[in-house]
Amino acid sequence: MIRSRLSMIPNYAVLVLMTLIAIIPLLFVLGSSLKTPTEYALDPGLIPWHATLENYLWAFGNGGILHYLSNSLIVVPFGLVLYLAVCVSAGFAFGKLEFRFRLGVFLGVLFLMIFPQMLLVMQMFKLMTMFGLTNSFLGLVLAWVAYFSPFGTYIMTTYFSSVPSEIMESARMDGCGSLRMLLSIMTPIAAPMIGTISIIGLLTMWNELPFSLLLLQDNSLRTMTLAVAMIQGEYGLNTPSLAAILMLTAIVPIVIFLFFQKFVTQGATAGALKG
Amino acid sequence: MVKASTRRNFPVEGWFFIAPLLVLLAVFILYPVVMNLYYGFTAWKGFGQEQWIGIDNYVKMFSDSKFWTSIANTGILLFFIPVSTAVTLVVATILRDGLPGWTLFRTLLYIPNLLGVVIIGTAFNLILRDAGPINTFLTSNFGISVPWLTSPVYALLGTGFISIVWSPLGFGIIYFLAAMSNIDHSLYEAAAIDGASPWATFRHITIPSIRFAIEFWVVMSFINVFARMFGFIYVFSRGGPGFSTFTLEYGIYELAFNKFDPSYSSAWSTVLFVFCAFISIAQIRLMKRKEA
Repeated sequence: MIRSRLSMIPNYAVLVLMTLIAIIPLLFVLGSSLKTPTEYALDPGLIPWHATLENYLWAFGNGGILHYLSNSLIVVPFGLVLYLAVCVSAGFAFGKLEFRFRLGVFLGVLFLMIFPQMLLVMQMFKLMTMFGLTNSFLGLVLAWVAYFSPFGTYIMTTYFSSVPSEIMESARMDGCGSLRMLLSIMTPIAAPMIGTISIIGLLTMWNELPFSLLLLQDNSLRTMTLAVAMIQGEYGLNTPSLAAILMLTAIVPIVIFLFFQKFVTQGATAGALKG
Repeated sequence: MVKASTRRNFPVEGWFFIAPLLVLLAVFILYPVVMNLYYGFTAWKGFGQEQWIGIDNYVKMFSDSKFWTSIANTGILLFFIPVSTAVTLVVATILRDGLPGWTLFRTLLYIPNLLGVVIIGTAFNLILRDAGPINTFLTSNFGISVPWLTSPVYALLGTGFISIVWSPLGFGIIYFLAAMSNIDHSLYEAAAIDGASPWATFRHITIPSIRFAIEFWVVMSFINVFARMFGFIYVFSRGGPGFSTFTLEYGIYELAFNKFDPSYSSAWSTVLFVFCAFISIAQIRLMKRKEA
């Protein structure tokens, strides 16, 4: 298509406007986190004219953020490993093995994918109390993996079912059992898609609120995201300090995105378009 | 998703591989869903033995104005879905032209999707406060101040705009771009030869070609409205001011954990379950059609 430079201007105008709307809130948080409370009160605009790191020093010192950060850094990888094991294993079975009621069970899993967390959390809390798993990272991880796995399983299933069956057939000839097939043949083949669901799982667990809010009543167990949600209501915290905590919470997903952008964009389309 | 023909039979092994998933789902998803349906017909205070009370909770719910407010609020939020769909499609179409630098825009536009609802809700709460940047700017330049968070109408519209239009935009762009990349390019060449306007090309080639992706997007947006709003509302407005950003999801939380009336909240949960079941079935039908 041949287009004049002039006709590009409205298109650029729309893109620039939308991009500004998309990123200004984050720039505002960044700018505020570098101001003193006094400067913010006088000028809550975007730019910190007298940039200071005191809010970050406060966050790591008296703010106790390091504690919440380390909670998240324990519980999220723990959840992620279990999530990957569950999704890859189930995706392999649904996508590549033949067994009775497979389609019915698969549709059942898909059906359970979208129910809101609030619908589950009260009965879940009752169960966790029974199992002694409230105020425990294990309880939170089990809830996360149960809730997030159907989507990961769906992606892995569609991926595995697109892998040619000949690969399996010839391995079968050599006497390869299903478990070894999964671990030494299918998992390496599916590595890119496993990367994609890892990023999806990581971001959703890092940012998760409802289960953490109701299963972790003990303040010292709070995840980073839960801490942000609670700190805001608990102490009348000044905006720059809150902004610094927000930045520290946001930086993890953003860094992951910068390093693994390909996986993230693949994830955006894997669930709905790949066959 | 499932083709039977070329597979051999692995009756036991198959179940072995899905067992971890099924156990977790049965215990932590299916059991809570089913028990909620039951507890909706009981009186239960969160501990001790529940008592069967028939449809009392439902009678109470249908005469509870907060329930109807939450339904109405959800209905208003649904109107943001066409807005979101249109905006996302327009931006994706512009990006598809491949203007110089388009990948940078795509990357920057994706950033809101990385931020969880807690970060987004808190950030917008700070931005829209009376002492926040927008009102400070409006006050010092025009002598006015907009009650973004304290007016029921603005709070609900803000919730809709931020969580249905603003926050999924970058995801939608990537999603629609992927769908558009499958369109046969000769269709556009033919349109260009016929001298079709950009709008006609968009209307008669792009839209029909990615109809399926648009339907999927709309279903995902419904899931967003009915089932993914709690976290945002919790930090952005706590359901307020008044009950202006109260949704079914938020109402369930409020009744179960702040009003300590869990069995009554179960009746609300049942209503939400019915809505979500319909959405879930719609989504499964789309997924099956894609595989066909």
